[in-house]
Amino acid sequence: MATNIRLEGEAGGLALPLRRDAVGWQDRPILLRLISIALFAAIWEIAGLIPVSFAFPTFSDTLVAFFGLLADGSLPSAYLSTLQPLVVGVVLSAFLGVGIGTICGLSRTGEWLIVPVFIVLQSAPVAAFIPLVTFVYGIGMTAKVLAVMILALPVIVLNTYKAVRNVNGSLLSMCRSFLGTRWQSISKIILPDASPVIFAGLRLGVAAGFVGVVLAELLITPTGIGDVITFHRSRADYAEMYATIASIIALSTLTLVFLQWVEVRVFRPEKRGR
Amino acid sequence: MTMMFKRAVLAGAIAAVVGSVSAEAEAGDMRIAFGDLPGIESIQTLAAIERAKERGVNVELIVLNDEDLAAQAIVGGQADVGIGAPYTLIQKVGVPIRIFAQISTLRFFPVVNSEFYKDWKDLDGQEVAVQARGSGTEAVMVMMAEKHGIKLGNISYVPGSEVRRNALLQGTLKASIVDAANRRALEAEAPGKFIVLPVEDLGASDEAVFATVEYLENNAADVDMLVEELLKTGREITENPAAAVELRNKYKLLPDLGAEADKEIEEYYKETAEAGALALNGGGAEAAADDFAFFSLSGQLEGDPASLKVEDFWHLAALDRALAKLGKK
Repeated sequence: MATNIRLEGEAGGLALPLRRDAVGWQDRPILLRLISIALFAAIWEIAGLIPVSFAFPTFSDTLVAFFGLLADGSLPSAYLSTLQPLVVGVVLSAFLGVGIGTICGLSRTGEWLIVPVFIVLQSAPVAAFIPLVTFVYGIGMTAKVLAVMILALPVIVLNTYKAVRNVNGSLLSMCRSFLGTRWQSISKIILPDASPVIFAGLRLGVAAGFVGVVLAELLITPTGIGDVITFHRSRADYAEMYATIASIIALSTLTLVFLQWVEVRVFRPEKRGR
Repeated sequence: MTMMFKRAVLAGAIAAVVGSVSAEAEAGDMRIAFGDLPGIESIQTLAAIERAKERGVNVELIVLNDEDLAAQAIVGGQADVGIGAPYTLIQKVGVPIRIFAQISTLRFFPVVNSEFYKDWKDLDGQEVAVQARGSGTEAVMVMMAEKHGIKLGNISYVPGSEVRRNALLQGTLKASIVDAANRRALEAEAPGKFIVLPVEDLGASDEAVFATVEYLENNAADVDMLVEELLKTGREITENPAAAVELRNKYKLLPDLGAEADKEIEEYYKETAEAGALALNGGGAEAAADDFAFFSLSGQLEGDPASLKVEDFWHLAALDRALAKLGKK
């Protein structure tokens, strides 16, 4: 947060120099985050103690269950199997998605042919037709990778397409006036200028991929995380069930935060602020 | 596919309905929550409900996507009577619900592709697919494997009998276990391709009715009527399986399935009646003992089956009254 304010201050002609010195508790993002997590845990604990439902465990029970699942190895091995379709699906979606999106952004034919398909896919209630995938691709790994891609691909394609289509016109004119070739305008102007939105699309795609893999494991065959969730649900071990669900949410969140960090550090030094 | 899709759509619609239903039931009202989309195997229950309606019980049907949800709706006061076998919930979570009559017992059919396997012995070390980890289908397979002195290889989990049926037809699965309807579909779609392996009588509850103790005690008259009608339809269909079709036509049950389902319903009930899978006496303590044994084996119940108490899971008063009135069969 502090870095953002500084940045805007610099961009706006150093209008906010005073803020830099005022480092109160509200300017410490880590502290704020910890407080918000503690607050969330406290509300959860209270809700579990009421309880809101017989199937709703307290936060502490869930935490105990989480460490239990870690200790007996069921969670690590579940993640090992869940991550396979997830990683394969997301990586394939990233390359395919950025490729297809760029083509759609650059060529009108591509746009008319391909973009509607992805708009339909993005707005469709995908959970309803994931079971269809099993009828075509069976119950194995292919079906799960496909489920991940069905969710991840549209958002990546559409973001890339929009980013490429909306590249700053004056930058393109500049490239032309310097006699840049078509390839140079793509590699030196269009892709760098579109990269923030493409990265945002990739992040959303990864988040969608998590949704896809969990849906696939709940709806196609219960393996990995889906298996742990359904199994503990069938055994009425709700603390274990919630622990698993919370762990996948946490993993997904951490992955997204990490991706954002990588994006800023590695690909967009101008956003680093220092 | 249509089944899955229908379920998804229904689940959504029902969530909306359940949400809007007021939690307070008036006397004579009975909200019955199905834990699954009613199919031909529900004719007996649906007919009993219609008859209870004729006798003045104002029944409202709620269809949910999962047995857990039915139990949840009962505990939450959004439904009065649930259908399923919620032993795990009663034991683990201590929800204040009790089973008050058994409707039918479990029937599963281990099916193997005849190109690869002929009998139980051939399954030694082979991969089989069952519904889910810790499910009844898994328990049946493991139990039968033990009985035949073999050890199954990898057990994979494929939820949905219809999904396993398709996988068997496609050849993705070579050995699995399906319910009665899908077993017959397999025989119809690929005659001779599959062999159904013999299974001894399981005796465990497939469907039973349950409610909170409070509801059972405060609405004894309504509950009695439902139990009596369940027993009567069960007996009627067991004596004459064709009665299932008559009941269906009389009460216009499962209209979506169309007239062509009549034949299937008749065959289903003929077979079910022969197997004695419809409860004639509503289960009771005997059924509870069988359930304890089976669900302990499948891992859904914990502890020594002999140490489990019937009264912790069952509320027998209504059933006793019904049996006193109708006699035991």
